[in-house]
Amino acid sequence: MPLFLPRRKIPPLALLFLLILPSPGAAAPLMGYIEGAGKNTVTVTQAAPFGGSSRAADLQRAVSGNLALLPFVEEIDARGVPGGAAVEAPGGQGLTFERFVLAGVNLLITANWVDGGHVEMRCFSAGEGRFLFGNRYTVAPGQEGLRDMADKFCANFLDAVIGNGAFFRSNLAFIRTAGPRKKDVWVMRPNGRFLRRVTNIPGEALSPAWSPDGRFVLFTHIDARTHALGVWDSGRRTVQRIKFPGNTVIGPAFMPDNRVAVSLTDGRNPSIFLLNHLFQKDRKLDDSLSIDVSPSVDASGTRMAFTSNRHGNPHIFLKDLRTGTVTRVTSAGRYNTDPSISPDGTVVVFARRDSGGHRIYAYDLVTNQERQISFGPGSDEQPEFAPDGYFVTFMSTRSGQKRIYVITRHGGAAKLLPTGQGDASFPAWGPAARG
Amino acid sequence: MTTFLRRGLFLTLALALLGGAGCAKKTDESTPSDELALTAQEQQAARQISDGVVYFEYDRYDLKSESKAVLTKNAPVIKQYPGLRVTIEGHCDERGTEEYNLALGERRARAAYEFLLSLGVSPGQLEMISYGKLHPAVEGHNESAWAKNRRDEFRVFKPRR
Repeated sequence: MPLFLPRRKIPPLALLFLLILPSPGAAAPLMGYIEGAGKNTVTVTQAAPFGGSSRAADLQRAVSGNLALLPFVEEIDARGVPGGAAVEAPGGQGLTFERFVLAGVNLLITANWVDGGHVEMRCFSAGEGRFLFGNRYTVAPGQEGLRDMADKFCANFLDAVIGNGAFFRSNLAFIRTAGPRKKDVWVMRPNGRFLRRVTNIPGEALSPAWSPDGRFVLFTHIDARTHALGVWDSGRRTVQRIKFPGNTVIGPAFMPDNRVAVSLTDGRNPSIFLLNHLFQKDRKLDDSLSIDVSPSVDASGTRMAFTSNRHGNPHIFLKDLRTGTVTRVTSAGRYNTDPSISPDGTVVVFARRDSGGHRIYAYDLVTNQERQISFGPGSDEQPEFAPDGYFVTFMSTRSGQKRIYVITRHGGAAKLLPTGQGDASFPAWGPAARG
Repeated sequence: MTTFLRRGLFLTLALALLGGAGCAKKTDESTPSDELALTAQEQQAARQISDGVVYFEYDRYDLKSESKAVLTKNAPVIKQYPGLRVTIEGHCDERGTEEYNLALGERRARAAYEFLLSLGVSPGQLEMISYGKLHPAVEGHNESAWAKNRRDEFRVFKPRR
């Protein structure tokens, strides 16, 4: 589709970093209007659509539903803007922004339905009156066509504001409880689309992990007498259980080259082993006399975060897989577990137990600074970086049930993901489809 | 073809072989049909063994003296019935996280396993499994409940030979 070229190209990652995450040395022309209260929030509004398509309202609802999942976005109903939701033009010289600025709107979205099957969508920075991005989308018939289009637009929206639209292009695997001693692997898009159960075998599945190509999901599977490495093959639609001597299989993780890191026992204690492409033990990835679990490997395959109790209590460690050097990441707290390393290997998120339950923290491996990014209530566990390295999903009991929420690596308002009925846990991101 | 794609293809082929041709490690479910009914004497022995739940301190897997006493009492019973098998189930309370608790439960099961071996029980009679915090014995969110959930349970069965 032809793109409405921006008048000024927004550099990747630039806008939201400028809006929300200023770094030293970064130019900050857009900072002014979101300083103070609410500085971690971008306000967005959708103007009344042009073209009069009967599908316009449904598309707005679909876009709103997607935007509601983003921890840094607050949508303002355009009908509440002085003068109403209607704008003079979908773009160009006729469009004015003053009243939107007065209403506190940061980003304005316009829609122009060319016909029932095509719509032009544009996004503007209201404060600057600047065109950010736009596209002409083909909308397939039916509600699914509208939702497809909304996903594409929102992926483009994230491309523009954080430099990566993977959130709306990726699948999320998770564990859902079906009943006593029955947990299955489910897969969906983060907005709940294409929700489906992909395993249905007696026992309990835990800790799903996607292969880099998105074809396989590995998981721990526990039945009445055995642990096993579960393998769901999305291509062949099969599920296998692979047992290991020692009867312990905990927390598998794919390496970038499709090998697998997983905790098995060698007769002494659970240690992290590397499995070859036939799921046979290759070698230990770290040799200690302690509990070592929950490997998480960056996209380069050179840095592995993991949990170990080698110094008494469980803490987060980092292993350089090229040199073998192990460094301790966490020193605060007495119980730090569930690490997930960002794809670029610069940040580890993990769960720290305090008196109120577990909370999610982010540790910057470059600056060696950590900060709390979730605040309960209940218990927040199992943080997992999305493939964009920006969003972080986790399981929380804050509603009284186990549910999956999303925040960013900087925190923000936790948004509930629609996983359906039953306890949901262990969110695991697959690779992003091409945009 | 890139290295990555070659490796991805290799993984696909390997899984196809595992799934299609069968593999020594590909398993079937263990079901009660794998087990034989116990005689009256075996039922009595199984009850004594199963009643001997041992408990642990928070984030610990060393056996307390009273736990060792329970295991010392039950070891001769296990040895007396070589046709029986005992699955040692390691459990944790709800406060830890799932994966670490699976490892901790394994260490708890292993602690009892190794102590029973030291008392002369055949390793062929013993199995271990960790359930972490998946299966609490007692519901509750206080120390009283947690103390009852940090435990090893012993499930006795007679496998078909």
